[in-house]
Amino acid sequence: MKKLEFKGVKFLIFVVTLYALLSIIDFANSLLGFQKFLYILWGLLPIFLFIIILTTMINYFLKPKQIMKYFGEDSGKKGLIYTIIGGILSHGPMYAWYGMLDDMRKHGLKDGLIASFIYARAVKLPLLPFMIDIFGIVFTVIINIYIIIFAVLQGKLIDMLMKK
Amino acid sequence: MIIAVVGLIGLFQTYVTADMLSTLFGYSAFSDIIVGTFAGAVSSGNGAISYVIAEGLQSQGVSVYALSTFILAWVTLGFVQLPAEVSVFGLKFTSYRNILTLLSTIIVSYLAVITTRLFV
Repeated sequence: MKKLEFKGVKFLIFVVTLYALLSIIDFANSLLGFQKFLYILWGLLPIFLFIIILTTMINYFLKPKQIMKYFGEDSGKKGLIYTIIGGILSHGPMYAWYGMLDDMRKHGLKDGLIASFIYARAVKLPLLPFMIDIFGIVFTVIINIYIIIFAVLQGKLIDMLMKK
Repeated sequence: MIIAVVGLIGLFQTYVTADMLSTLFGYSAFSDIIVGTFAGAVSSGNGAISYVIAEGLQSQGVSVYALSTFILAWVTLGFVQLPAEVSVFGLKFTSYRNILTLLSTIIVSYLAVITTRLFV
């Protein structure tokens, strides 16, 4: 039977210790921090649910060989296009996606595509009206084009650097 | 791990407030860019918050370049989630990705400002 693996236990102990220490030094703010923690966690529940369903579907429909084909070493332009679109459409905070990316990485997802996915997330479709309001439509279109170009470049560079 | 990251974000949002970030801007164009990048990188939370802060900073006369680095850094960098990123993807990948993202943020904002000037 596969042993369950919990990542970041030391990090969790550090954060719990930090809260414990702060509750002694600055109880009011540590309590406020804890309330914010619960509020954020509550807001993340639908995103986690979506990611769990997506990961399950990927594991069910995409076998390791297919992941290698679409997102592995020889995935080419298609893999990159799927990754950029995935990054643009993905919602929620970055760390919510780490688990799924890690799972796909174990099945052959290229490091460069992980970097491209993360950077492409800077294109925030629901926030475009805010961006247009602040910067204007020309700047908004231009910066988003550059973000996509740099998401591609960053992926290529990460692949090169990770091979060293 | 995610619980730990969210826990740390709760504390960051309590101690690093939007008002505090706003006071860091307005010294010089160059310092605004550096501050924009690092303030965005240490901040956490929904990306929409970065736009609200940017709108306030815009009315204070902060440059478009600094504002765009701030918003970009907010969504692409995350000092709070670095331990989680290291534990999942390893130190080598995390270091390369974050250094490249930091540089990309500054370059993308610069290129966007320069290119926009050609059209507007």
